[in-house]
Formats: sequence, structure tokens, C-alpha cells
Amino acid sequence: MNIWFRQHRFALGAALGHLRKAPGSFLFNVVVVAVALALPFAGVTLLDNVKPMAEQLSVDPEISLFLKADTGRAEAEALAPQLRQILHGSRAKVDFVPREQALANLKESSGLSDVIETLGDNPLPDSYVMKLEGFASGADAARVDGIAEQLRALPGVDTVQVDSAWVKRLAALLGVLRLALLLLAVTLGVVVIAVVFNTIRLQVLTQKDEIAVSKLLGATDNFIHRPFYYTGALLGLCAGAVALGAVALALRPLNAAIAEFARLYASDFQLAALPLLGVVALLAISAALGLVGAMLSVQRHLARLH
Amino acid sequence: MIEFQSVSKHYSADAIALSEVSLHIAKGELVYLAGPSGAGKSTLMKMVAAIERPTSGRVIVSGHDVGRLKKAGVPFLRRNLGLIFQHQRLLNDRHILANVMLPLIVTGAPKAQAEQRARAALEKVGLSERAKALPLELSGGEQQRVAIARAIVNRPQIILADEPTANLDRAAADRVIDALHAFHAVGVTVVISTHDEQILDSAARVIRLEHGHLVHAAPVGGAA
Repeated sequence: MNIWFRQHRFALGAALGHLRKAPGSFLFNVVVVAVALALPFAGVTLLDNVKPMAEQLSVDPEISLFLKADTGRAEAEALAPQLRQILHGSRAKVDFVPREQALANLKESSGLSDVIETLGDNPLPDSYVMKLEGFASGADAARVDGIAEQLRALPGVDTVQVDSAWVKRLAALLGVLRLALLLLAVTLGVVVIAVVFNTIRLQVLTQKDEIAVSKLLGATDNFIHRPFYYTGALLGLCAGAVALGAVALALRPLNAAIAEFARLYASDFQLAALPLLGVVALLAISAALGLVGAMLSVQRHLARLH
Repeated sequence: MIEFQSVSKHYSADAIALSEVSLHIAKGELVYLAGPSGAGKSTLMKMVAAIERPTSGRVIVSGHDVGRLKKAGVPFLRRNLGLIFQHQRLLNDRHILANVMLPLIVTGAPKAQAEQRARAALEKVGLSERAKALPLELSGGEQQRVAIARAIVNRPQIILADEPTANLDRAAADRVIDALHAFHAVGVTVVISTHDEQILDSAARVIRLEHGHLVHAAPVGGAA
């Protein structure tokens, strides 16, 4: 265990020693990798901020059921128990809107009361408005469609309108954003691996004499590989820290602009930096990407040297 | 300690480095490998250190069949060998103390212990005062003595010196040979390859190779 620990300490020291010998080159590589990481990190930060806001939006779907014009009032009111039966298991608020009230609402909301007066008979049917609660995801939208189908089959029903577009749009939008972020992260992850791969390739070439001598003196492959692994992981870690710092700095001017915009909607929405757990996770991912790049490079280039 | 059993090494059909070589080097022996350039001396040395593998035959080192040694076992074989090369192969970006410490560092020895033993090894070759010098600040003879210090710091059972005096003047060559003799005197098996006939004058045993063939393997005065 002591030998294992000593050899890792030596490898870390060797990696830091090589970085000290060429700090400019290391810093340049850190900046390149940080630029690649900053975009997905910014996306993660944005999603992390938007997610709770999206969850707070009122996106509960509304179903309007219009009865046929010749449906009697008693017959219309008798539908209420059947509606509740269909909605059984779902939290829903069911309101009966008599045709007289619908007309009054129309007069009030449209500002066309004079025109409506000229119609003579009330052309509007009796209706039910059902507000469903707790239906936010794409899967829930499918359930709403199923409920609508059952409602259409009831006697005396003329039209059923489902206003679940919000649910579908938001779910689709968040899904697209997540997918876009994932694709961006994968693409830029490959870029990070490629940059580290090339950095390590150059290091292997500049240290080929040391590698050859170490092998002749009894160094194991692990002993030779480890400093490169540490270099890759350190490069990823430093680049991750720089990228996170850049995103945090960018939040200040962004929040100033957002504050103006949000004020128009009577909101105090602001983008916040990622929580500590998120920061640690992104740093770990950055280091892991660097490590993967280093491992691939070492496997390929040291095999050639051997 | 070292045994070659009908060992051949062919790089290609036309490039035959060793052909049916059989020999035995006992523990604690001092043996010179002699022969002109291209005779197969370096190939023979490389086979002992598992740098090359035989095309046929067996190479036994300290009881291990080197030809069948797995890749993971090679470093552990080399830790029991002290390798000295014609061109020293010192790392020029670090001082000679660090160069001599390297065989101990690769085994996971504590740094303080490695430094202590490296200083002792440099003292044995008369270079303790130059511990912090860079290799390029030393003469060829001094560099070769650093290489010897690096070879013996791990207290190997066998020292393999491939043309250690090739680029040295007579005085420096004699100091290098004296140093190697000193390690033989304390029981280390030493194999030195050379084409310097003057050095061979004092040799107890010379193994001669020509065009990959063994022409003389017995102690001086013995049969081939």
C-alpha cells in the first residue's frame, strides 16, 4: 500500500514537474479545453435555472366540453356524475357553464355586446369546463387525450376541446433543450478528449528517452503511464475550473440584462450559479474527460514506442 | 546464473544475429564478450535483459526462461540486472543524483532511501562531489561511471556492460573496468562486451563471437 501510494505521489509530482517546465503550453491547452467546456457548462447552468421556473408555470390542461344545442338543461346537468366517473383518479375541477352565462361572458370579454344583442336567440350551447391538475409531462398529455376521447363518446356531446398544448409544448421544448445540450456536451467532450490526446502525444514524444531508460531500469507500464494520466486529469480539472469560473462571471452581465427584461413581467428572475454538488460533478466530469484522453493517447503512442 | 541453450536470433532470413549459441555463466563470474562489430555481442546482452527474445532456443537467467517471460514479468527481471550501455543513456534534463536514483524510484523505494543509496553508489565510482551536476557537464568517462553507479544502485545480481569503454580514452577506460572489477570482487556476476583487445589481456574468461557464432566460450587456457 505504501509503495502504491508512493508511486502515485511520484507520478503526480512528475506530472506537475512537467507542467512547471512548460507552463505556457499547459495554460494554452487549459484555455482551449475550457472554451470547449464553457458552452455545455453554460447550458447546464441555464437548464438548472429554467427547470424550477418551468415547474412553477401553470400548464395544467383544460378540457371544454360543448353539448349539442338541442340538449335539455336537465340532461346536461345529468352528465356531471359521468364526467366525474371518467375523471376518476385525476385531480380535476369541473364547472358547468350554462349557455346564458357563456353568452354573458362573451359579451363581457369580447366588448361586442351590441353586436351580440342583434343575434336574437343565444347561439351558445351549455358546456362543461374541466381543469385537470398535476398533468405536466408528455406522458400526462397522452392521458389527457385519452380522457377527451371518452368524453366525446358521451350522449349529447357535440365538441370536446383539449387545451393541453402548453403541456406538450413545454415538455417538447425541455426535451429538445436537453437533447441539444446532450449532443453539444458529447461533441465538445470529444473535442476535449482530442485536445488532451494530442497534448499527451506531444509529451510522450518529448519524454521518449526517459520512457525508454525507465523501462530498461525495470519500470512497469503502470509506472510509466501514470504521470500522463495525472497530466490529462489535471488538464481537464483546471480547464473545468476555468470554464465554471467563466460561466459564473458571465452570469453578472447576463443577470443585469435579465433583470430589465423580467421587470416587464413583474418577475425578479435571476440566473444563479450551480450549487456545490453540480460544481463538483462538472469538475469530476472534466477531470474524467482529461483522463480518458490521456489513457487513449498513452495506449496508442506508448504502444508505438515499445 | 545465465544459460544459453542453442539460442538463435534471426531478424530476417538474411539477418542472423546469433546462431545456435550455447553457453553458461556461473554466479559471481566475470566474463568478457569479445568479437568484432556485428558479431552478436549486443544481441546476446539484450536477450539476457529481455530486450530481445530468441527466435529459437532458451535463455535462462536466474532460473527464469526469458523467452517465455510474460510482458508483466520483464520489469522485475530487469530490476535484478544492472545495465550499462555504450552511450550511457543518462537523462540530460536532471542532475546525476536523480539519474542514479531512478532505478530505485521505479521500484517504489522511499525518496530519502533512494537518495541515500544513490549517493553511496556515486561515492563508489568516485563522483559523490558531482551529485548535483548535469550529465552534459561531465566528461565521457565520468558519464560512464554515473551509468555504473545507476547500474549498481539497485544491488543487482548481474551487471551487463555493453561496450562500456568504447568512447573513452585509456585512463578513463581503465577506471571504468576497475570499477566493474570491484563489483565482481564482492560477488556480482559481471558480463562485459568489448572489442578492446588490451582489456581482454587480463580477462579470466572470454567468450568470443563471430558472425553470430560462438567461437570460444571457455576460461582462458581452456577448450572452446
